[in-house]
Amino acid sequence: MTPKNNIVIGIIIALVVIASYNVDANPLEFVEGLPNLAIVVEEMLLVEPKYIPTALWAMFETIQMAFIGTVVGTVIALPLSMFAARNLNSKFVYAPVRALLAAIRTFPSILWAILFVIMVGLGTFAGVLAVVMYTIGFIAKLQYEAIETIDSDPMDAVSSIGVSKWQLIRYVVIPESASHLLGQILYMFDYNVRQTSILGLVGAGGIGFYIINYIKFFEYGKAAIFMLVVLVTVLFIDWVSVKIRDKYIVKSQHGMEVTVKKI
Amino acid sequence: MKQIQMTKNLSFSLISTNKIIQMNDVWTSYDSKNFALEGINLSIDRGTNYAIVGQSGSGKSTLLKLMNGMMIPSKGTIKIDYVTPDMNNKKFKKMMHTIGYIPQSLGLVKNISVLENIMIGALPRLTTIQSLFKRFPEHEIQEAKRIVSLVGLSGKEDRKAYMLSGGEKRRVAIARALMQKPTILLADEIVSELDHVTAREIMNLIADAQKRMNLTAIMVHHDMQLALEYANRVAVIKEGHKILEIGVEGDTIVDFQTGDLNTEEIMEMYSDDS
Ligand SMILES: Nc1ncnc2c1ncn2[C@@H]1O[C@H](COP(=O)(O)OP(=O)(O)OP(=O)(O)O)[C@@H](O)[C@H]1O
Ligand SMILES: [Mg+2]
Repeated sequence: MTPKNNIVIGIIIALVVIASYNVDANPLEFVEGLPNLAIVVEEMLLVEPKYIPTALWAMFETIQMAFIGTVVGTVIALPLSMFAARNLNSKFVYAPVRALLAAIRTFPSILWAILFVIMVGLGTFAGVLAVVMYTIGFIAKLQYEAIETIDSDPMDAVSSIGVSKWQLIRYVVIPESASHLLGQILYMFDYNVRQTSILGLVGAGGIGFYIINYIKFFEYGKAAIFMLVVLVTVLFIDWVSVKIRDKYIVKSQHGMEVTVKKI
Repeated sequence: MKQIQMTKNLSFSLISTNKIIQMNDVWTSYDSKNFALEGINLSIDRGTNYAIVGQSGSGKSTLLKLMNGMMIPSKGTIKIDYVTPDMNNKKFKKMMHTIGYIPQSLGLVKNISVLENIMIGALPRLTTIQSLFKRFPEHEIQEAKRIVSLVGLSGKEDRKAYMLSGGEKRRVAIARALMQKPTILLADEIVSELDHVTAREIMNLIADAQKRMNLTAIMVHHDMQLALEYANRVAVIKEGHKILEIGVEGDTIVDFQTGDLNTEEIMEMYSDDS
């Protein structure tokens, strides 16, 4: 290790210490707080199984919110991505569309949720709208990037026939970027289920709404059931989408013949 | 090997009223420093089977890209049927519908079927609704099927393009171009990587179509032998210059170039090149 590296590491440590002081992050408090965690865990162990059906129902509602948000968001994102791709548009078209998409992505979904709670009131609809916005921002970006990496050979060859922009999109752009799209939608859905689970914290419906309320009233046993359901569901969806990606998408991106097997 | 006669004579007329492609002192470059083509003059009669031969990097592909308007010369003029090729020119964009262009890389859409790839050639004749929903008119489907069997792809219509062999891919690209009902066919080394037999099978196919449709075919070759076998005219390109242009009629080869080129030597050089 060179002296120069030592100086850099020293500076980083100093910065962490200064920043901790500024934000009141005291390790001692963490240690002192550990007994409290024990109390929470103890109470959580007093799970109340009779709340399982309610928890499952709340999770189902959450998944539906994520599902609607993913589908609607994707449907809006796709045309936007066509206008945002550099290889399909002039600067005057793609530059403003990209700026809009970047602006949409700047907000985390929880901020969108707060905004929509103010607009349409407490409840699941605000949550769905938040998921839609978030999905638009990300799917459109992933998709215009996929479009920009399409092989230019078929693009040039088909353009040289003098086809219209719509025909080019239908016969080259969509087929050549579709294999990426399926993977992205799966990933987005997976992500949206997690996000929707916490949107309830700001009153935008879903299972997080129950969790925050139980925690507010110190009913950790009930909260634990709901959190457990979220954990299991997220792990399950994760597992399923990895399976689908492995079995279907990875292969098709390597140009192999694909048969979708039972998962 | 064919006999070479140094003669400027004239069973081949040098001046014709029926020029479909004319290039006058054409220069072009990809970057600001090096010219890929330097002062090219070409004049191609309608219905000719024209070959362009030259070593790798000599500028053959560039020449074709100029003819279909994908590239614009930095100096000089090009006319296709008296129109300047340029993708942004409305009049030329219409003409592109009937200029079949088969790039060196073929440019197939790999995730759609053989039949759909071929249908792309007919897109300019379809309405937006027909093409977006793939509702092809019956007579276009019949035409596509006819071309499929012509190029020897019957039974493979529904295969995805990525599931084809190199030779089959070339047949699809040719079929797509024929589906355009072309008046001009530009083909860039489409048989260079194929075995002797398949290469000739594909060349015969194009030669037949060319005669039947009174096509003007401009084909780039690596191999002089193949060019002499099929073309009526052969231009040899070297380092961005046209160094030789010969006419072929039966077994007679005529030099069209003025000046003191050693034709025999050049011919030998390129016929050895494989
Ligand atoms: N896209 C490009 N950008 C920059 N330079 C290029 C590009 N394409 C070709 N060139 C250059 O232009 C010159 C002519 O290239 P061209 O592709 O026309 O050659 P070619 O005769 O078709 O060769 P080959 O037989 O290998 O296909 C070469 O020097 C090449 O390096
Ligand atoms: Mg080339």
